[in-house]
Amino acid sequence: MTESQVLIEVREVGKVYGNGVVGLRGVSLQVKRGEVVCIIGPSGSGKSTLLRTLNALEPISAGEIRVLGESVHDPRTDLNRLRARLGMVFQSFNLFPHRTVLDNLMLAPRVVSGVKPERARERALALLAKVGLADKADMHPGQLSGGQQQRVAIARALAMQPEIMLFDEPTSALDPEKVGEVLDVMKVLASEGMTMCVVTHEMGFARAVAHRVVFMEAGEIVYEDAPERFFTAPANERLRAFLGQVLKSA
Amino acid sequence: MRSNPLAGRAGAWLIYLVVLGGIIGGLYVATQRIDYSWNWQRIPQYLISNEGQERVAPFDGFVAVAEDGHSLTLKEMKGSRSITIRDFDELLVGDGDLVFENDPLARKRGLVAGPLLVGLWMTLKISALSLMAALVLGLLIGLGRVSRNSAVSGLAATYVEVIRGTPLLVQIFIFYFFVGTVMELSAFTAGVAALAVFTAAYVAEIIRAGIEAVPRGQMEAARSLGLSLPQAMRHVILPQAFKRTLPPLAGQFINLIKDSSLVSVMALTDLTKAGREVVSSTFSPFEVWFTVAGMYLLLTGLLSYLVRRLEKRLAHD
Ligand SMILES: Nc1ncnc2c1ncn2[C@@H]1O[C@H](COP(=O)(O)OP(=O)(O)O)[C@@H](O)[C@H]1O
Ligand SMILES: [Mg+2]
Repeated sequence: MTESQVLIEVREVGKVYGNGVVGLRGVSLQVKRGEVVCIIGPSGSGKSTLLRTLNALEPISAGEIRVLGESVHDPRTDLNRLRARLGMVFQSFNLFPHRTVLDNLMLAPRVVSGVKPERARERALALLAKVGLADKADMHPGQLSGGQQQRVAIARALAMQPEIMLFDEPTSALDPEKVGEVLDVMKVLASEGMTMCVVTHEMGFARAVAHRVVFMEAGEIVYEDAPERFFTAPANERLRAFLGQVLKSA
Repeated sequence: MRSNPLAGRAGAWLIYLVVLGGIIGGLYVATQRIDYSWNWQRIPQYLISNEGQERVAPFDGFVAVAEDGHSLTLKEMKGSRSITIRDFDELLVGDGDLVFENDPLARKRGLVAGPLLVGLWMTLKISALSLMAALVLGLLIGLGRVSRNSAVSGLAATYVEVIRGTPLLVQIFIFYFFVGTVMELSAFTAGVAALAVFTAAYVAEIIRAGIEAVPRGQMEAARSLGLSLPQAMRHVILPQAFKRTLPPLAGQFINLIKDSSLVSVMALTDLTKAGREVVSSTFSPFEVWFTVAGMYLLLTGLLSYLVRRLEKRLAHD
């Protein structure tokens, strides 16, 4: 693969929070176009922090991050433009409760990209159909189930036609029976060649969809590998212990 | 029947009426003991009077009345100006009279607003104008309070502290005597400005609380979609904050109407000042002040009614 296909380049990134807590230490990671990278690890290991530094929701303390050819934490970077090319899906959906589902999808295209209302509407309806919620366009988020809300949130991110999608534990807040419908949407995205970074505890999904799985612990990337080896014969003691625990509790 | 909820409500109403009646009766007995003679019949003329409207002389001059008595011309004494008045019912001067500025010339009969109603209108105008100014100023300062720029948030916090830490009456004096003089403001403008500046501090705190009550994830979601900070504020945060701030804002604006009575210390005839003037000409302080209180209650009651309706409408969507 050529250099130009690297969409995300994290180099020796450190992050210390204002209260002195270390979020990341010396993290390096590369994600190429079309790649699906899953990030797993115990709670508090820095998975969210890493994801949130990618679109500068969190500033970093050391190192450099390049996304889509731009230096994310360079003050000269037009962050709003960069963020528009980077979709993000949150554990708690974060839909805009005062707007209808359709308006949730149309807001950013209209306000940020200046898309004409008719065009934005068309695109929003097409995306809702894609996530199986065409009939919910005029509802408010509060009227939907968790699984439906998360699918709307994915559609909302897709409405900006991003080149990369970031997912931070997208199914962790869902009732178990709703997890599948969200993962299915994500599988479709992956099969269409979307570049994705997914923080998840869904080992089945990671194993089936990811090109690479990354294990984090205490702010560091401890191990990364192709899913096959990662889950069956990882060359790392701590990952084996973690997987043993997770599989036992599952 | 103890378990009947209707009986419970009826009982509560009964107690309410008995206590209220007791208080009113007590007031009546109390005024009996000080030998106060009630003159409620004097009050209506100060709300609406049928004395009609007087036309007064705009300058010193001599009057000339037309032969049919239906028009009057005033010629300036030391100049060449002259005016003619035709629209009147009753002459108050005679042909050839010398009158001075502000002397009454003629009267037009009919119903006109009495001093209390004029005062109410002034109170309404002052309150409405300062309300709008306080909303705008309060929004800016509230946004300043939540700014990540510590110079901006520090300035906004200082504003709130200073305004909330000093009495409104003192601020009104400062606006009237200092700011008003320096900037050559009319008493009206100074009064509106003082009330707006005062109320804005409270509005700012209400708006800050409203913004902070919106979950952090809302701002993050908006920013992750590429919205700038002002865009996220305008389209995502403020609409959600507004709903939460409506009840406390309404309370603040009811306070504003009541606080506006303090501007009567300036040369402004608002409802309270009008009340004082009417008292001094009727010697019926009890009736006048009860009437004035009732008129304030009408304003504040109307406002809370409107806000409740707006809240209901917002709750639906
Ligand atoms: N806003 C914050 N302020 C201070 N510390 C934080 C903040 N967010 C996360 N942390 C800390 O940083 C570490 C990594 O957190 P996080 O990235 O959320 O972990 P994960 O997503 O893997 O559970 C944890 O110790 C957490 O307590
Ligand atoms: Mg997390």
